[in-house]
Amino acid sequence: MPDISPLAVVKPGAELAADVCVGPFSYIGPEVRIGAGCIIENNVTITGRTTLGDKNHVFPLTAIGASGGNGLGDGECVLGTANTIREHVTIYAGLERPTSIGTDNLVMIHTEIGDGAVIGDHGIFDNCSHIGSSADVGDYVRTSGFAAICPGVTVGAYTFVTGYASVDRDAPPYAIVQGFPIRVRGVNSRNLKRCGFGEDDISRLKQAFRELFNDAENYVDQAALKRLLAEPNVNQCVRRLLESLHPQAQPAGDSHG
Amino acid sequence: MAEVSVLREVDPSARIAPDAVIGLYCVVGPNVTIGPSSVLVRRVFVTGNTTIGSGNVFGEGCVLGAPPQDLKYAGGATLLIIGHRNQFGREVTVHVGTELGGCLTRIGDDNVLMDGCHVAHDCYVDDRTHLGRNVLLAGHIHVQTGAVIGDLAGVQHFATIGRYARVGPRTPVRRDVPPYSNFYSVGYDWSTPPAVRGVHEAGIEAAKLRPDEQRELRQALRELFDDESALQTKIEQLVNLGVEGEVAALCEFCQRSLQGLYGRHRETFRGKVPPETEQFLSPDQLADIRRPTA
Repeated sequence: MPDISPLAVVKPGAELAADVCVGPFSYIGPEVRIGAGCIIENNVTITGRTTLGDKNHVFPLTAIGASGGNGLGDGECVLGTANTIREHVTIYAGLERPTSIGTDNLVMIHTEIGDGAVIGDHGIFDNCSHIGSSADVGDYVRTSGFAAICPGVTVGAYTFVTGYASVDRDAPPYAIVQGFPIRVRGVNSRNLKRCGFGEDDISRLKQAFRELFNDAENYVDQAALKRLLAEPNVNQCVRRLLESLHPQAQPAGDSHG
Repeated sequence: MAEVSVLREVDPSARIAPDAVIGLYCVVGPNVTIGPSSVLVRRVFVTGNTTIGSGNVFGEGCVLGAPPQDLKYAGGATLLIIGHRNQFGREVTVHVGTELGGCLTRIGDDNVLMDGCHVAHDCYVDDRTHLGRNVLLAGHIHVQTGAVIGDLAGVQHFATIGRYARVGPRTPVRRDVPPYSNFYSVGYDWSTPPAVRGVHEAGIEAAKLRPDEQRELRQALRELFDDESALQTKIEQLVNLGVEGEVAALCEFCQRSLQGLYGRHRETFRGKVPPETEQFLSPDQLADIRRPTA
């Protein structure tokens, strides 16, 4: 039997796994499914067509599957496994596509995740981060306090968004991005090392970053991009970086480097 | 008898003063102490080993004593101590300490924390400070007496905000802010980092300094921070002149910041128990938190 506080409201129709805990004054809507081992603390509101995988921990006063007040009805929201959603977080339900959060993310206090946003795995989103609607956020992305990811933009995997940055256009993978409009400050080498990337990958990425993001005015040096795309035997990480900057073109050589 | 709403969940082992007010939908955990005349307005969640003094007001949606967001925290029995007569706005979050950082988060007396403030693990907020809306304090920060922090300011871990200093709104603080200084950023461009830009006059007023002390302090702040190059030499020059009182304290503060990492003195306490912990905890409490957990 799920451990549901007598002061919680779980609507008929909600599917809760056997060992789910629900704290007092929480509200679980009728179309919500919650996987095994989830802990829903007090005063949490989960509404919409929302699915939580296993072992998610939702802290007090958080709202998941919020409708956003646009009067368009309830949307859909899918959380993977082992996410930690801290206090006062709002995750809006997606209307056109489900709002989706992968596995093992830490979403810190007061973060807002817009409708239709897709977030990868192992991310850390610091306090007061704002992730706009329909944004695509890759794996291992970390944001610092007050970072804003604008609606519809893509943030590449392993990228670090610094505090107060406003990601107003697509951010490349492996990068540290800062400011508004965003500038690429360099390779997020600390995170890459932590995630097990080799020295060779990191130094090649650094070289590519130096060539691509050398100009203060333009975001990407298009000539350098063209040159790097034409190079044979591009390193796998560099190749992924180039593809993210220029989705139509494929680098000339195969991976390995 | 404490005025307690029916729709609340208070653990029977929580120690709550007779005239404390626990509002609607509040949840109070087992190891919590709430002092006389403290008010938990609505939807306030108090958990962890949390001690709250007298006369505090907590607005809607405050969460006190929740586990830190530090990935190194493994669930130890760490503490949160809140003093007297503090005012908390809505949705203020204060976390307990971590074992690596001294096990204690402490908020002193007569502070104002406005809506959405976050005080992370192992922070020390002294007395009579004012934290604006949505101020984020990362871990291990010391906000000293009388400091004023503007709305949406974010303070990086291990920073110190000096006595009666002011941090401007929307200012990212990455290093120590000297006492009585006015620290803010100009524009939104990352290439101009925030810096000390003058004296916090209201702070000097609030500290009730003597006129000669005020004059010396203004002069010292101007000398040190009008142009921050060669700060070390300028501090040494001032110290060699035989300064005393607030100016000597200012010199000592700046000297310690320079000795720390990235201009943050408290970086030297990384992974250690900071000296304040012993000041704020009784020997019994210290023995308690240092006892290895089974």
